[in-house]
Amino acid sequence: MRFGPTRLITVGVVILLALAPFLSPLIHVDISIVNEVLLFTLAAMSANLLLGYTGLPPFGNAAFFGLGTYGAGLSIKYFHVNFIEATLLGTAAALLGALVVGPFLVRRRGIYFGLLSIAFGQVFYFIAYRFTDVTGGEDGMNFARPYLGISNFHVTLHGSGFYYLTLVVFVASILAFKLLVESPFGRTLVAIRQNEVRVRYLGLDSNRFVFVAILISATMAGLGGALFGMLNNFAWPLLMDWHQSGDFVLSVILGGSGTIWGPLLGSAIYVIGKDIISSYTNLWQIFIGALFVACVLGFPRGILGSILARFGTAPLSNESEEANWTQSPAIAADHHG
Amino acid sequence: MGSTLLLEAQEVSKYFGGVHACEGVSLGVREGTIHAVIGPNGAGKTTFFNALSGFYYPDRGRVFFDGEEITRMPNWRRIERGMGRTFQTPSIFPELTVHDNVALGVRSKAGLAFRARPPSGEQQAVLERRVDELLGFVNLVRFKERPVAELSHGSQRLCEIAMSLSTEPRLVLLDEPMAGLAESETERIISVIRGLHDRLGLTVLFVEHNMRVVLGLAEMITVLDRGRILAEGTPSEIAANEAVRDAYLGKEVLERV
Ligand SMILES: Nc1ncnc2c1ncn2[C@@H]1O[C@H](COP(=O)(O)OP(=O)(O)OP(=O)(O)O)[C@@H](O)[C@H]1O
Ligand SMILES: [Mg+2]
Repeated sequence: MRFGPTRLITVGVVILLALAPFLSPLIHVDISIVNEVLLFTLAAMSANLLLGYTGLPPFGNAAFFGLGTYGAGLSIKYFHVNFIEATLLGTAAALLGALVVGPFLVRRRGIYFGLLSIAFGQVFYFIAYRFTDVTGGEDGMNFARPYLGISNFHVTLHGSGFYYLTLVVFVASILAFKLLVESPFGRTLVAIRQNEVRVRYLGLDSNRFVFVAILISATMAGLGGALFGMLNNFAWPLLMDWHQSGDFVLSVILGGSGTIWGPLLGSAIYVIGKDIISSYTNLWQIFIGALFVACVLGFPRGILGSILARFGTAPLSNESEEANWTQSPAIAADHHG
Repeated sequence: MGSTLLLEAQEVSKYFGGVHACEGVSLGVREGTIHAVIGPNGAGKTTFFNALSGFYYPDRGRVFFDGEEITRMPNWRRIERGMGRTFQTPSIFPELTVHDNVALGVRSKAGLAFRARPPSGEQQAVLERRVDELLGFVNLVRFKERPVAELSHGSQRLCEIAMSLSTEPRLVLLDEPMAGLAESETERIISVIRGLHDRLGLTVLFVEHNMRVVLGLAEMITVLDRGRILAEGTPSEIAANEAVRDAYLGKEVLERV
């Protein structure tokens, strides 16, 4: 059914990304920026799982991203772990964070979910900001890039080596994401986005699905954050700030929420656009903002979402999103009793 | 006709601020019957259904299903226990196809909805057969791959009925299944409701405005007015009831029966 264009996009994008170390110099973009795009995309995809598929506004996902960065950074700095261990520990830190805040978020919907996400995100931000002795506080925290840690093979990856490692993780994540959203679980998430009351009246505890979606989302963001930390050898509190969450959400909407490749497109425009424009002017935010407005006006479902809709293959639209914006008593009923 | 109560409401009340939407409503639905709830606009019929199905919990009173108290049981669990329901405004997944709308409930019943692993070929075949069976029952097979939003209002209602059947309930609650439908579509729904009872052996509790339909379908009728029970009885008793004649707008219809 929708294999035609999707498979074409997949093959094209992967080839393009594989050639990026050779192509990016042509537009005067450092490969580390493309690397950043991929990791930013993991965070955007994690936001997309909640926003585009489940219908929840993820305004705190930067905290999970940052937990990944700090989780990796702190374990490198204080426990001298290798690259793979740091990645796993960073990811685990984000998952742990979600296990703590998830139970509170799971009953919220719409704007209340968004606001509580911001609040929890800011808690993590302030912890990183205040715990100067451990995290370096406002100044951030440097740490060395660890060696890889595969079978005593003491090698540290740089430049395109690091990029290709990221690319492997990225492609694996995209595949996993695709399998997830097309699985029975993922289809139930989409159903929750469209009409949660009906999902419950089909005998499914929607909160359980939302909780697991939050955990998966946080894990993906954490994975991206951990690698992002090791890309920059640096962690800083603003990574967890709600503005950062907003940038992830923006990239999702820009590219096309509820699509597999939308977050990559949105993140690429955002990160590369920022890199190029900020080399000319300090007012890059104005230009990014204008670009965003133009895209939203020209592509109401995001760039990719609108293009796919034209070909009749868009899996989702945002039309029913308002319906989920306030909490229905059918959902609230659970925790009164 | 069985005499055990499949669903029982005891003195159920629900208030919205000062509005007593439901006030001490008691009712028993015998297993294997078609039971109707009627009453003028704003009588509290939907509120009562919401309290019975756990859309929200009643402020007073108790609800029993198959002998078990379910007053504060989460709505999704009531579905697991064998309740199904439709809404006054059809509650569907508008962007999904008719097939996918029904398939979600079938997967739910089969315990497959939470899985990240796709169903095996064998499981999938069983699921598809079940979806076809349900769509066949409501006569929507030809719309299988169409988004429900594109269907007529009547077909959307039929799709919603198929969805509420997908979890294999013993009791279905139908809130005004014929509201806003043309005559021909009404006939389709009526025959489907008969089928629920005659062919599937289900117990049906439904809300309906159209008196002719109610008197023709139901074995037992409960009349609500301003949140309270005004009368209860068989169609002939209700048709002869003075208080119902006075309160109910469909006076003329009653006289014709
Ligand atoms: N969520 C709510 N908040 C406030 N008042 C409500 C709410 N739901 C229902 N009501 C009020 O409770 C009363 C009963 O409403 P209900 O919808 O149950 O009536 P109904 O018998 O289903 O009417 P209709 O035939 O129009 O569907 C009405 O006065 C209505 O305005
Ligand atoms: Mg009503």
